[in-house]
Amino acid sequence: MLDDRSTSAAIASAKPTIAVLGIGAIEQHSHHLPIGTDWIAVSEVSQRVAAELNALWIPAIPFSMSECHGPMAGTVWLKPATLAAVLRDVAQSLREQDIRKLLVLNGHGGNFVIEPTIQAINQEFPDFRIVMPSEVWATIVGEPPIFETAGTEVHAGESETSTELYLNPDNVKSERVDYVPPVGREFLDYAFMDQVSPDGMWGTSSKGSAAKGERAIAAQVHAIVAFAKQAFEVLR
Amino acid sequence: MTKVTSVMLTWQNTAWEYQAHPPQIAILPLACLEPHAAHLPIGTDRIIIGEIARRVAEQIGAPTMLLPTWSLGTSGHHAGKTGAIYLRFETLWAVVRDVVTSLHEHGIHQVAVINNHGSAMTGTTRPIGNFIVKTAVRQLNYETPGLTAIWVQPFAAARAELANLFPSARSELHAGAVETSLLMRLARDLVGALPPDHVPDVAPNYLDFAPFKKIAPRGIWGKPSEASADQGARALEIIVQATTDYITTTFKQLKEIKQRG
Repeated sequence: MLDDRSTSAAIASAKPTIAVLGIGAIEQHSHHLPIGTDWIAVSEVSQRVAAELNALWIPAIPFSMSECHGPMAGTVWLKPATLAAVLRDVAQSLREQDIRKLLVLNGHGGNFVIEPTIQAINQEFPDFRIVMPSEVWATIVGEPPIFETAGTEVHAGESETSTELYLNPDNVKSERVDYVPPVGREFLDYAFMDQVSPDGMWGTSSKGSAAKGERAIAAQVHAIVAFAKQAFEVLR
Repeated sequence: MTKVTSVMLTWQNTAWEYQAHPPQIAILPLACLEPHAAHLPIGTDRIIIGEIARRVAEQIGAPTMLLPTWSLGTSGHHAGKTGAIYLRFETLWAVVRDVVTSLHEHGIHQVAVINNHGSAMTGTTRPIGNFIVKTAVRQLNYETPGLTAIWVQPFAAARAELANLFPSARSELHAGAVETSLLMRLARDLVGALPPDHVPDVAPNYLDFAPFKKIAPRGIWGKPSEASADQGARALEIIVQATTDYITTTFKQLKEIKQRG
């Protein structure tokens, strides 16, 4: 595994051509999930993906665009321009050391600045490719879908509860709130989460299970690895 | 109602636990990713800072929020070398500004930035490494009424005791006795064969003028030959104590200063 526990020389002699960077978040996750849920999940998934791709794993970024949760406790954030600058600087650092492919895994659904940033980086650096699977990887996996409520969850619901029960069960509380607000998810462009859902829930957490989480993580890693291999091949 | 005196909350707690035990202090640990000669991993600072920050947060004696360690610093002096993943100074400034401001907006008005580990070469007035954090903290205090933000570098806070433990502490900047000893204590399996000691003949500000590899061609600035796991264990205790003391004393003094004003 090429990661931050490796020496510079060990990484250099392995000559990785791809780096993997997960984007996490520290934000309210309703009554039962820890505030680090997104960071914990994307750290694990990105490590497994990096291992399969023989890529360099960069420690997942812990903060991102969590301002959508407004005043809810346990939430910190980066402004969109800051997150964009972080991605650009990481890309530049990698270019300078002759790693020219970056796979970004977005662990928090609210990070909408990433797509424009990725396009801009690809335009600015023609010798560098940065790619990201679409956000559906997190919740809609498996055929038939592993999650019964696939498509209705935005936050802290069946899929996040399942993943956390699998990865970090000691820190999942027993309380479960189920609530799907009667509005489109674009309402988070217009109001804060606590206004749309005072319990900070957008989904059906009671349907979460560790077994689903284990299957989903495996399916996600498989799908992401396939995506990355194909994308970097097509873009060669 | 239970009186809460010392509660540490982290990324493993829920928002409702934060609501029940509102933190009075937040600790934001900053590290960096950079080559560390032949014998230490690129994440050396993240390992050291993560451990120091956790122990400081546990000891502080007030309800405290420990944030995850932010791994990306301003290591541009290592640009181009494998393992150097860094931010421009403006970017790190914005990260500190955004995180600390959002903490303040959530009711946490005392924030201590543990700005990488620094060096026993200097005191607590000028950081070595991630220098922009000094400006970031200053501006936060000027621009955010009601917020008290401070920064500290643990090796600098503990410089007198570190100089007693390691003859070379005051001449170490990178991958020397102190860093190596701490890794021997915290992650022995990650420490490789020690390279020869090397202390360049110039002041550290030369790193503003030229890449690290030009100023210190061996990739090292210190004397790893003085390192041991036992020394690392002792160093860790004194560093944690000195950092905790700096934070608590400084917040107390600032409270008095601001009440007078």
